[in-house]
Amino acid sequence: MAAKRPLRTFISTATCSLRAAQPSKPSLVRTSACAFSTTTPTRGPEYDTETAERPRWQQTPARMVAPVRTRPLPRGPVFRVNEDPRRLDDAYVKMLGPGGDKVLTDEVKWLAVTHKSFDHGRRGFNDRLAFLGRRIVSLQTSHALLSSQHVQPQPDEYGRTPYLHPALNGLPGLSHEAKDAVLDKAQLSTIAERYNLDRVTRWKPKRADNLKGSGVDAVLATSLYAIIGAIALERGGDIANKVTQERILSPLGFTLSSEYSPGV
Amino acid sequence: MKRLRISRCASQLLAHQPAPRRLSCPCAPALQRHTTPHNHRIQSRFQSTLVIPNELGREELLVEELDGTTDSTSTPQAEQRESPSPLPSAAQRSAKLYALRSRLSLRQGFPLETLARTLVHPSADPDPAFNNASLSILGSNLLGYYTTEHLLCNYPRLPMSVVFAAQFAYIGPKALATIASEWGIEAAAAPGAEVDPGLLQFKRLRSGDSVPEVLRRQVPWNWNVTTTNRILKSDAFGSSSAPPSPHELSGIPVPIEEAAQSFVQALIGALHLHLGSPLVKRFFRDHFLSRHLDLSTLFDFRTPTRDLSRLCAREGFEAPVARLISETGRLSRHPVFVVGVYSGKDKLGEGAGSSLDEARIRAAAAALKGWYLYRPLEVTVPSSTEGALDTSAWKPNMIDCGEVIV
Repeated sequence: MAAKRPLRTFISTATCSLRAAQPSKPSLVRTSACAFSTTTPTRGPEYDTETAERPRWQQTPARMVAPVRTRPLPRGPVFRVNEDPRRLDDAYVKMLGPGGDKVLTDEVKWLAVTHKSFDHGRRGFNDRLAFLGRRIVSLQTSHALLSSQHVQPQPDEYGRTPYLHPALNGLPGLSHEAKDAVLDKAQLSTIAERYNLDRVTRWKPKRADNLKGSGVDAVLATSLYAIIGAIALERGGDIANKVTQERILSPLGFTLSSEYSPGV
Repeated sequence: MKRLRISRCASQLLAHQPAPRRLSCPCAPALQRHTTPHNHRIQSRFQSTLVIPNELGREELLVEELDGTTDSTSTPQAEQRESPSPLPSAAQRSAKLYALRSRLSLRQGFPLETLARTLVHPSADPDPAFNNASLSILGSNLLGYYTTEHLLCNYPRLPMSVVFAAQFAYIGPKALATIASEWGIEAAAAPGAEVDPGLLQFKRLRSGDSVPEVLRRQVPWNWNVTTTNRILKSDAFGSSSAPPSPHELSGIPVPIEEAAQSFVQALIGALHLHLGSPLVKRFFRDHFLSRHLDLSTLFDFRTPTRDLSRLCAREGFEAPVARLISETGRLSRHPVFVVGVYSGKDKLGEGAGSSLDEARIRAAAAALKGWYLYRPLEVTVPSSTEGALDTSAWKPNMIDCGEVIV
């Protein structure tokens, strides 16, 4: 039988006082059926019911926020992030085509464009999605490079010719240098800007007036990868591969054949 | 009828050797390049049954010597250099390659020439048309994709550092080297045209020499090496050293682990190109996913109590409280305290330790592991929809918002 008395009593903090005020029951914050609120969410809701109904992307969890800010505000202008679901939907439609806003669920839509720097990671971030997305994009780039050029091999300095097989035709085009040139961070961020992802990505730059120096390229590339990863997890690898080929590799200049089917 | 002049032929054969020659008989073991008395004896024993390939036209068949006529196909040996790896046609005569193919249960349709190519590391043969560089790039992409989707679908809440570690455990260099040795891959002492194509060929690092510079390069160069940065810039394991481009490794001595890793990756790539992705997925499941990995041993918490407290705050649970469940021997030399961490009435985790603090920290770590190692019962991985006609079995995977940041 566990002791009734706690093992260590906590030193009272501001969050503790908040806790004592509201007897919250353990509940996961889910995406609710409530209508999206267009007003800026306040930092601390007055009623516990409000906390439970608000989706995770919309507000910082109440118990993770101190009532008073103790650190000084950062230097430079304030960086405002998008809070409008409509603008996010427009960006997805621009990237994925008509119906692009219906491909992912609401929470995942916001999660995919949220960088770890936003709100100190309290509303979730797109690290894992970007990890999977990068693997998918990398593989599709390899496929694209394989089907890009077909060079007839010449006898080399030793007078030998390599073994020829239709399946191995595209291998000369596949090299690390070629892939790095394609998947360059600056190029990917250019493509992300084309889809207006720079306006909806939620992050916190070091200096709001120097986004390049704060690493906007990396953040946008992460968002792009994360969207691909989210599509793969929610809708399947087939659709994610197609989106990669049409929306990322085609703008980079790869014209892919209709079906790349190896091993025939 | 000319009489068989074996002694003359034998002496001619020995006289022709510019350097100590190796036999291409598949039953001979891989011999050293420099002669030893033992090798010389083996050579003389096999004289009568010598069969020499003549693709390059510089070695002659024993039969032609017996006729006594000058061989018109022999070319001057001084000008033509030996190719750094066996010719593709030598693959059909290699018993090791046949054995490897059947050991891996690969179809007869998988060409032995490609299998031979996967065994040639760029350090042995710089020519990209004859080494496994491109194949290993494709294979490492495939392995990374399949492992990542397996981990993220089966363990949706895994923290990023644990994902890196698990990837390294499944498909890292050491794991692939172990798998290659389990498959019975042997390495040639030194690369060359006369080496059996079924041996792993690479330029060996001499013992005592340091690892070459290209394999030790640190990336990224910036000071802000964060996890998110590593996801974008580094390889699938989040390592701080850049994976060298296979084309950079031409002619540089490498450790055997590097060569074995490139072989396994190249084999996966070759299977994908020749036999298609369904077979590669089955191969991956049979050879890689069948290896048991205990993910709970990959965690390393620094302040689990603080992490757990922030996690409960984020998820809206009641704040965690540690309570002593049972104890024994408090005043003795080896006390045991069993502490449980509770959120309200629910016990999140339990730990035993020899001090109250230790038990409390273990309990918090157990609670965090219980959260992070959550596993859904049935998952459908993204690659299962590729090429599938029926997508009704698709179940969207759980996407977690991320590990708790303190």
